[in-house]
Amino acid sequence: MLITDKESFARLCRLNQLRLTEAEEAAVLEFFKSKNEEFAVLDKIDTENTERMVHVMPMETVVREDKMIKLFTRDELQASAPESYDGYWQVPRLVE
Amino acid sequence: MKYETVIGLEVHIELATESKIFCSCSAKFGGEQNDHVCPACCGMPGMLPIVNRHVVDLGMTAGMMLNCHINRTTTFDKKSYYYPDLPCSYQTTQWFAPVAVNGLVDIETSKGKKSVRIKQIHMEEDAGKLVHDDWTDTSLVDFNRTSVPLIEIVSQPDLSSAEEVVAYLERLKSLLRFAKVSECRMEQGSMRCDVNLSVRPEGSTKLGVRTEMKNMNSISAITRAIEYEVSRHIDAIENGTEELVQETRRWDDIKGKSFAMRNKETAGDYRYFPDPNIMPVVIDDAWYDGIKASLPEFPEIKRARYIGELGLSEYDADLLTESRAFCDCFEGAYAVCGNAKESANYIISDITNLLNKKQMTSDELKLDGKSLGELIVLVAEGKVSRPNAKKVLAAMFEDGVSPAKYAEDNGFIVSNDTGKMDEVIKAIVAADPKSVADYKGGKEKALMALFGKCMKELRGNCDPQVLREALIKAVDEA
Amino acid sequence: MKLYINKNEKASGVSVSLDDMLLTKDLPTTAGSKMLDGYVSLFGADITDRLKDAGICVSGKANVGEFGIDLLGETSYFGACTDDKGALTLASAEIVKSGEVKAAITLDVNGAPRRCAALSGLTYVKPTYGTVSRYGTIPAACSGECVGVMAKNADDCADILSVIAGHDDKDGTSLPEEKCALLKKDAPTDEIKSVAVIKNIADTADDATKARLDAVKSALANAGITVTEIECDVMSAAKTAWSVLMCAELCNNVSRYDGVKYGHRAAEYKTIGELYTNSRTEAFGELAKTAILYGSEVLSDDNYMPVYDKSMRVRRVICEAFASIFEKFDAVLMPACQKTAYTEADVVENKYIAFDEALYTAPALITGLPAVISGGVQLMGKAFSDMALLSLAKIIEKEGK
Repeated sequence: MLITDKESFARLCRLNQLRLTEAEEAAVLEFFKSKNEEFAVLDKIDTENTERMVHVMPMETVVREDKMIKLFTRDELQASAPESYDGYWQVPRLVE
Repeated sequence: MKYETVIGLEVHIELATESKIFCSCSAKFGGEQNDHVCPACCGMPGMLPIVNRHVVDLGMTAGMMLNCHINRTTTFDKKSYYYPDLPCSYQTTQWFAPVAVNGLVDIETSKGKKSVRIKQIHMEEDAGKLVHDDWTDTSLVDFNRTSVPLIEIVSQPDLSSAEEVVAYLERLKSLLRFAKVSECRMEQGSMRCDVNLSVRPEGSTKLGVRTEMKNMNSISAITRAIEYEVSRHIDAIENGTEELVQETRRWDDIKGKSFAMRNKETAGDYRYFPDPNIMPVVIDDAWYDGIKASLPEFPEIKRARYIGELGLSEYDADLLTESRAFCDCFEGAYAVCGNAKESANYIISDITNLLNKKQMTSDELKLDGKSLGELIVLVAEGKVSRPNAKKVLAAMFEDGVSPAKYAEDNGFIVSNDTGKMDEVIKAIVAADPKSVADYKGGKEKALMALFGKCMKELRGNCDPQVLREALIKAVDEA
Repeated sequence: MKLYINKNEKASGVSVSLDDMLLTKDLPTTAGSKMLDGYVSLFGADITDRLKDAGICVSGKANVGEFGIDLLGETSYFGACTDDKGALTLASAEIVKSGEVKAAITLDVNGAPRRCAALSGLTYVKPTYGTVSRYGTIPAACSGECVGVMAKNADDCADILSVIAGHDDKDGTSLPEEKCALLKKDAPTDEIKSVAVIKNIADTADDATKARLDAVKSALANAGITVTEIECDVMSAAKTAWSVLMCAELCNNVSRYDGVKYGHRAAEYKTIGELYTNSRTEAFGELAKTAILYGSEVLSDDNYMPVYDKSMRVRRVICEAFASIFEKFDAVLMPACQKTAYTEADVVENKYIAFDEALYTAPALITGLPAVISGGVQLMGKAFSDMALLSLAKIIEKEGK
């Protein structure tokens, strides 16, 4: 069952680094409630002897050789950085 | 009351690959900040992960070295959490089907031998590094280490003291360095461990409250941290100094104390799920057998063989089997020259000196054992003198030159031309009548001075015994 | 109304538009999100190289709903698009209709391009999963999303699909070249002789849509193709399972947008937590936020087994259901949407209408099977029957004239 109480919802928002307005929250909780009902459709299907399917194509072992290739320079990669300093991406200080 | 300590370890080991696990950036240690980075490992959208085959090789190798069962179908999963050193806000790891499970590692301590069970070994990507900068009062992010391949070795809670933990770590280090899985250099962070620890009254079957200390990266700090934690736990149980809670703690080695990390409420809520972009890796018989065949002899088996079959001293065998590179060099040399003692001596004294001078570790030794064997043969056949052999060895160490060719090119081949020797002796004896007189007067040292001069003139390229006899003869006749 | 977020002023000759889920080196790629407003990728999608090699120009980047998960592009940060009758439409469809391009290439994440092609009377092919590289696409729901082609007719779709299909070493889910080659125009195809209509799905459509289905059924019958009605109960579970899988993957994929490396960073923050939360809260729209929270919740410890793992198993059940249908029939016919037009009022009334409309579009995404839109309805076939489905679309086009 998806959570439907406000306390768990607040935690879910923090977990995903999002802040919702009251109206948004109410809408999402309604959506969760409707999904909880909709899941009955899944429960009706017997999957006891069915393996989970992650990939739709039956492929395996897609690997590459251990070879180094340099694609871009640091300056190119940091051209779109909101803030950088001395070749580093920069963020507020984390308490150590 | 007596207590016992229950410890389980999670050891992270960076693998010795050229490129990263899911992209082709360099996996080398060091480099300028953010120099080993591409769009994939700095979290930009659009690139897709392709597994580095050698990572699977090394994961399997580690599994086999630790007597694990290898999962023939191994898969990758995503683990989500936010932290600035994790550019995609997820780490690709193995949750559902790790490469190796159910292993066993034998250790030996002052209390005797013991087996430590391995729960699993999984392959995953490392996170980046944060630098906390006082000047700007910000944190700076370096993604060079992001996506460098790791294995995490998870033990069962089978360890009961700092001594056992150290023995276990040393054993992992020795086995994995031997198998060339990793250099296991704690000081560079290529081997780190999380210590899970609890204390309970002896004989009790119920586990005590467990605390975890993360990212320990020195043997001595681990020892101190375990000793501190054990006494903190016992103090709490006996004297009620504090209430023990299950938590993650940080060890401050300077203060000699552990501290509770700020309790992240979201910690542990990682929302693992299978990575749809990475197909299952299926290890077929050919791949499995190839890795199996490439495994090295265990160091203690080599040691026993070196002593028993090759007649080395225990001391020499211990020194050699500390390093896979030493063993390879030794065995290569022995195969060519057939002289174990001599091969060992060159490695333990001369080569070790050369490494020390360059501040290199034995793993960085490039010298090929076959060449060392050839040099030993040249010396044994009297073609290169011992002092000159050192010079040849230095050149081999530097540039991987062939000993015979280098000795030839640099005039280090012992000359059998007695005419030349006689000529030199004649000139030196004639030029130094004082030494000749002193020797004849009973001063043995005077002969040594003459001998040295001759040797120098001949650039060492003569049999010292022959020279000595010829010199005595010439002085007597003078 | 913004059709192009960024236009290539230098385009000439044969050209196609790319929707803004596809990365281009020279033009910004936004995914319809404020988060990526102005973001320029260092590399272009694999398909951009294939187009270039074929001498085809990219006309520009078409407006798209945020991360492609909505009904008809209505959640784009850059505004929704409407057609001349005021109905919601995708920018890609309007660009194709204008005749300016031969085709529009889009990423089909939750059916919007197929839905829109059906509403606009255009042709669309969502190819077999793994035949067109996803390298350089904005990742949303990687296990099912496909790069597809929208055009005025089946021939144009086939031409462009031939160009962009092919094995790519940079995509670990890309099929081998011999499989991808089955999507080339000259590849041999099995003729489609029988079509099954999934009645329990078709019955949910409104009368106007049913009329379109009937028209196509008679067009096919006229061409000598047998049309049979069948029931397939599990098919209606595809939308529920796909909503679970898609949102979980989306939640994970968009967690990289945190204001640290590139993209939108909030102006106000003191701590790293505020930087994350403020940036993401400001930059994501409401539907994306809902999908993120839903996707996170289905992966929680409590829901993983009963919801997420269950959905992965249902995915296999649906694949097996198709396999058994294809033992008897060559293709499946069903609606692509419930109605024949949608307005902004529909979305205001039901914010989550795209999840409901996935009843028709999720089966192809969850199975990876090819789907073709023609005559306002949807055809699905076996893996690699893409070109055969497009041949069927040609019959429908001819009969419709």
